[in-house]
Amino acid sequence: MEFSAKKSDSEINSQTAVRHSGGPHFLPLSLAPHSVPVSQEDQQQFQQQIDCDAIPLMVSASVFASGMNGALSRKFNLETTSLELLERAGLMPKWKPTRPRLKTFGMTFPDGLEFIPPKAEKEHETESIQIKGPDGTVSENTDRKKSTRLKPPANALSLEDRLFYLLQPPLQSWLAGQELLMPFEPFPYQYEGIAWLFSQKSALLADEMGLGKTMQTITGVRLLLRSGQVRRILLLCPKPLIPNWQREFKFWAEELPITVVQGDSNRRKMIWEMPNTPILIANYESMTRDFEMMGEENIPRFDLVVLDEAQRIKNRDSRTAEIARSIPRKRSWALTGTPIENRHEEMSSLFEWMEVVPPRATPDLRQLQVLSKEFILRRTKDLVMSDLPPRLDRPAYLDLNPAQQIAYETAEKDGVIQLNAMGDSITIQHVFELVLRLKQITNFDPVTGESSKLDRLEADMEEIAASGGKAILFSQWTKPLDLMAERLQRFGTLVYHGGIPTKQREPILDQFKHDPDSHLLLMSYGTGAVGLNLQFAGYVFLFDRWWNPAIEDQAINRAHRIGQKTQVIVTKFICNNTIEERIDMVLEQKRELFRSILGDGDTTCESRSLTAAEIFGLFDLKQKKGDVTHKIAPQVYQKPAA
Amino acid sequence: MVADGSNELRLGFLTTIECPDGALIGGLLVTNHYGRPLEFQCTTPVKPNRTQEVLYGPTLIPFLLGEVIGLTLVEKMNIKPNLILIEQEQAIELQKHTAIPVAILSDIAQILDDSDSFLCEQIGKNRLRFDAGHQSGRAAIENTSKKIPGDADLGEPFERVREALNEAVKMGSSR
Repeated sequence: MEFSAKKSDSEINSQTAVRHSGGPHFLPLSLAPHSVPVSQEDQQQFQQQIDCDAIPLMVSASVFASGMNGALSRKFNLETTSLELLERAGLMPKWKPTRPRLKTFGMTFPDGLEFIPPKAEKEHETESIQIKGPDGTVSENTDRKKSTRLKPPANALSLEDRLFYLLQPPLQSWLAGQELLMPFEPFPYQYEGIAWLFSQKSALLADEMGLGKTMQTITGVRLLLRSGQVRRILLLCPKPLIPNWQREFKFWAEELPITVVQGDSNRRKMIWEMPNTPILIANYESMTRDFEMMGEENIPRFDLVVLDEAQRIKNRDSRTAEIARSIPRKRSWALTGTPIENRHEEMSSLFEWMEVVPPRATPDLRQLQVLSKEFILRRTKDLVMSDLPPRLDRPAYLDLNPAQQIAYETAEKDGVIQLNAMGDSITIQHVFELVLRLKQITNFDPVTGESSKLDRLEADMEEIAASGGKAILFSQWTKPLDLMAERLQRFGTLVYHGGIPTKQREPILDQFKHDPDSHLLLMSYGTGAVGLNLQFAGYVFLFDRWWNPAIEDQAINRAHRIGQKTQVIVTKFICNNTIEERIDMVLEQKRELFRSILGDGDTTCESRSLTAAEIFGLFDLKQKKGDVTHKIAPQVYQKPAA
Repeated sequence: MVADGSNELRLGFLTTIECPDGALIGGLLVTNHYGRPLEFQCTTPVKPNRTQEVLYGPTLIPFLLGEVIGLTLVEKMNIKPNLILIEQEQAIELQKHTAIPVAILSDIAQILDDSDSFLCEQIGKNRLRFDAGHQSGRAAIENTSKKIPGDADLGEPFERVREALNEAVKMGSSR
């Protein structure tokens, strides 16, 4: 466009003014009124671009006759006047930002006991080599979803008490290779058990044998000590189990110093009174003796007392139970795999020791169930150890050897005749004596030493030894064990019973574990049934039967427990047509019959021993008075068998 | 070594929960570097009035979390932490009122805006952000990263604090 160059500024301004004052802004410039004339050439070019004739938009753009135009030409006449406010502006009350004072609630946590860390692992020790820290899979397990938190106990009422538990770290992170090194990652149910024990003042941990009561207790004790909750602990256990506890403490909590109360009475007195001994381990007998001598008022105080194999105080009138109740303590934990061995009243004694029922209280079955829910934690293998290899029970029904058969029949016939002759004056002890004599004959013929059980055992052991397996055998008597050991020497047979001095027992277990040529360990129920860890043995033989299946189960569970890699084959020898068959039948019936306080399906606790009536019923005992023959029954006051 | 010359690293975990009536209650847990609790303090519930809501506007929550609750708790603590961890970003206001370094804890997977005013450091499973201008912050975070194992979850103690605060609210309301 050339027009802008040819026109003066004033002309352009006036044209622009015209355009802005009159024509609408959308009108093409060339067609607007008073527009600058466009050359012919431009018009043609423009027409080519739009390819059509331009349409003139002739919109009228005259000024609206409002009279404003005239008004705009006049000057404004402005005048100001001042106006007084009616009153002064009111002010809101002064507000200044301040930090409000807050009340707070606070608590500090007690200092835990610090212990000298254990020395670096000695690599030459085979035990140490097996110990390993949590691996990668362990740390995956410690995510928050699987964490086990401590819960405040029901009797913690103050906020401070409750917060103490809520603010503790999850057990998994507490124990996972940080402050408290664990040689192995516990199972989830064990974490729960530890958390439960930690928060209980009165607790009965009644997990089935082999589920790790010892480890849960040691870890619970460790956490209590490290968090400053307890400073002095007494652990009571049967004497043969002391080395086991020492070993387990060393394994699970190496840094904790433990002191065994042993030696002559002066030395024991010194140990009882020694300060700075966080953990004392004593056996029931020496505890009872020593505390009796000290007198009730001089018994030392403990923050925690743990009773292992707590069925030892099942009889509340026993001296052991009385002395155990008199120990001044803040926390009471009892451990047993068989809280009821015979009668549910045994629970009352345990609850009395735990101070959850008044002295001499006799809670009924319903009350016991309520108490059980709050103060007993019991898990069975079926419930928690779905990955534990199965236990295969294999009763071996054997015929007696000819010599045994003759001896047995003679003994039974004579024995029954003697008992019948005694009439109503016979006691359970008389019947017991006969039962024991007959059971001994089913083991060995007293004259020739023949034994169908031993023959069978020998045959089985050939196979077990050839495959490199290990077996443990239990018997009620120690003498047959020694006899068997001679005949089975070629299997590297070892003997472990009450007749073996305590100091020699640990090396025997050690040899059985580590010597590849040692395939058989012969044990007595009394010494070997509780507390030992023999999970490397895949075979268990019950040479003769105990009165109480709970004890048999305890024995079997030396092998069938955590750490067992293979199935455990349990062979129970039962001689046909003998007293053994009859006892077995009665016990099996009882297993089915009795219901447990601890819930349905818990077959372990249902197993109770034979009553006096049942023992009398093993024989056809009759007395003839004149023409009348009547059955001989036990007197009502007679106590059931052990 | 930490700032006060002691060898032990003490971590503070500060968080706030909202009560059913809208009030805020805060708690500060000080633990050792294993996560074992050493001291815990919590406040009574704080509820701003209408005037405060209007006048503070968007600065109200940072004021409450950082200055009112956070500072009160830090002042009350007998065992002073070497590093305070927070999970609510608005509580970083506390840093303006205390010499103890304050760091915002976030998940390692969380995508954060790049900002020159914050420095980031990965510790355990978490990431810590702290004020770039704070002199002792760097030293505290470095000290923390040395003592905290790689698989540690620094978010876990906050769960404990929240649970404790809920317990306090529950017990307070039942009285």
